[in-house]
Amino acid sequence: MNKLSGLLFSSIFLLCSVVLVSCKEDEIGDVENIPGLGGDEWVKGPIDDWIFSNMTTPYNISVKYKWDQFEFDNVLKTLVPADEAQVIPLLSSIDKGWAKPYVEEAGKVFFNKYSPKLFVLSGSVEYNLDGSVTGGQAEGGRKIVMMGINRFKVKGMPGYKAETDSLYAKFFVFHVIQHEFGHILHQNKNYPQEYKTISAGKYYGANWINYRDEDALRDGFVTAYSASNFDDDFVEMIAVMLMEGKDGFDKMVNAIPPGTTAKGTTREQAQSALRQKEAMIVAYYKNSWNIDFYALQKKTRAAMVSMF
Amino acid sequence: MRKSILYFLLLSAGFWSCENKDESVFEKTTDERLNEALGAYEKQLSEAAYGWNAVVYPGNESSYGFYMKFDDKNRVSMYSDFTETSAKTPKESSYRLKAMQTPTLIFDTYGYMHLLADPDGGVNGGNDGDGLLSDFEFAIYPDSVTTDRIVFVGRKNQSKLILTRATQAQQTAFNGGGQAAGLAFNNISKYQVYFKRLTFNGVTYEIAVNQVDRIIKLTWLDGTTVRTFTTTYYYDSEGLVFAKPFVNGSNTINGFNKITWDESRTQLSVSVNGTTSVIGTAIRPLSIDRAAPRAWWNAPQATGGEWRSVSGFHVNGVDDAFGLKTLTSDSFPYVVYLYIPAYGSGYDLFAPAFFEDGGLSLHYGDAVRTPNFTSDGRIIFSMAGTLGDVPKTGPVAQMSAQLYESSGYYLIQTSEKTYDMVSVKDAKSWISWFRI
Repeated sequence: MNKLSGLLFSSIFLLCSVVLVSCKEDEIGDVENIPGLGGDEWVKGPIDDWIFSNMTTPYNISVKYKWDQFEFDNVLKTLVPADEAQVIPLLSSIDKGWAKPYVEEAGKVFFNKYSPKLFVLSGSVEYNLDGSVTGGQAEGGRKIVMMGINRFKVKGMPGYKAETDSLYAKFFVFHVIQHEFGHILHQNKNYPQEYKTISAGKYYGANWINYRDEDALRDGFVTAYSASNFDDDFVEMIAVMLMEGKDGFDKMVNAIPPGTTAKGTTREQAQSALRQKEAMIVAYYKNSWNIDFYALQKKTRAAMVSMF
Repeated sequence: MRKSILYFLLLSAGFWSCENKDESVFEKTTDERLNEALGAYEKQLSEAAYGWNAVVYPGNESSYGFYMKFDDKNRVSMYSDFTETSAKTPKESSYRLKAMQTPTLIFDTYGYMHLLADPDGGVNGGNDGDGLLSDFEFAIYPDSVTTDRIVFVGRKNQSKLILTRATQAQQTAFNGGGQAAGLAFNNISKYQVYFKRLTFNGVTYEIAVNQVDRIIKLTWLDGTTVRTFTTTYYYDSEGLVFAKPFVNGSNTINGFNKITWDESRTQLSVSVNGTTSVIGTAIRPLSIDRAAPRAWWNAPQATGGEWRSVSGFHVNGVDDAFGLKTLTSDSFPYVVYLYIPAYGSGYDLFAPAFFEDGGLSLHYGDAVRTPNFTSDGRIIFSMAGTLGDVPKTGPVAQMSAQLYESSGYYLIQTSEKTYDMVSVKDAKSWISWFRI
């Protein structure tokens, strides 16, 4: 190829681009008219006002209580929307049992910076093929999906039954939030590597679903799910310790029966593992976030007791 | 080389023709038209002064009646024939119209509509995870929208929602508890006698009602020919409506109105096309299915299964008359009663099964002689002996005594795999069998 044809080439390319440039697009048109652009709209009611003044204004959290299929991971699953009568009782319980204790102990700047920004509500839980149910989902520290909220009840609500409703509310609501918020914390500031050595070799991995919580406890895990991996171990500890309080957690640890598990864990080893994890979490809250974990635990537990 | 230059020139010539002019066949853009459609549907729904009669046909092929009043602030108030409470207490929830693949009506907070779709089987008796296969997001197709009637199709389960414009009288009737009054028809389950009859236009019909699946079956004799008609039903402000109208000759019947229940006489009266009739009883079927007993006895043998009944005999208006629910054996709880034809050589087994170590377990039972199939269509059971230690008193002894009732039983096939076995003596004792 000689120089001339190279020149020719460049000029042809130039021509081409001129041609392309001249092929100019019109204005994209009246975008204001695109239906649903900027989110769905409806006439605001008392619930919308309540959410705005009690969740959005103080915490910068928005709540989607009206049905939107696309907020849920699996569109093939059958779910139903939230019952309006449940929305305010649920959110004020969350405020009381999760937000307020953190705000009081760690301050609003901390809380508003790290708290998830969107709650999505589903009236029913999600039924899985293996017979289990899903009570919540979280997405990247930003969004938390809470399921089964139509059956959520705290003291004072019609038909409240202490023995079943407290378990339900803990399992499907408070546990989910405390757990996910724990993830947000360690994803921002990781916990010490030593945490992973405490129960090294004892984790169940994906097999955790075949264990009961009381079996996991004997292996030094606070729940079966916490034995699935390091991170979930860390946040399950946080969730359970905060909800059950110091006394409740102590009771769990002390109630571990004697004997050795299939994983070769003795009672003493299990208890020691749980105590080491507890100590490390308390230190992590102090060193990384300057939060007095025991004070936070006391406040959270007091709020839980007041509701159930 | 030169050739390729030419090609490039050709190529650029092509680009020149890239003229940019949108020639839409419509006068307005897609978005404008979509917004207009959404606005028009919302207007149509909310401007119906007296609201809408509504019927939902879930994927499980039953039917449920509703009343809906929409306003222009995304609020909707409903009545539903789901329960007596929902039929007389309005519940308000929200709705919105949204552009999905098609314009869609979404009932976006929980209302009576969602009772059918709820995946919690405890709410509606459906399977966990599915509910009754109903919907609360409904697609709107322009060709099924008329001024007074709109047909919607559910997005997940393809259930159908049909709205018809209500009159002022209908609205008044719903607000006055008209739908709840119609639910008095459910008292038909309190009749002590199995066979119910209703005469209208000179024809006597046998009525069988399945309240769980909302199915009504009429049987009548046309000369000597047995005819049947089956439909699902729901309730509107006037009474019970057949989802499919019943046509017999020149008569068309859409359902029963003015339903009243007389507790003291255990008697329902209904109005059919303006004429009031009382639902009476009979101790034998209008037409005896003579082949049914043998068909019932043979059916499980082909598959090696057995007949099952959870609540045992219903006697004189009492379900589980003998209290099987509380039965245990060695502290293992009772699950289901079994009838296994040809269990051994020359005998059948009639026995309770208990839940033990994660499965069904037989502890004892009655050996029943191969039944006597009479020429007039009855089945008569008699005892051959017992297997294991059968209790001498209590529910099991009562079940056996009832089974051996000497005049025997009629068998009524209620679906492919279900039969009701009704005592010939007075038709006040029966047991419902199913197999899996």
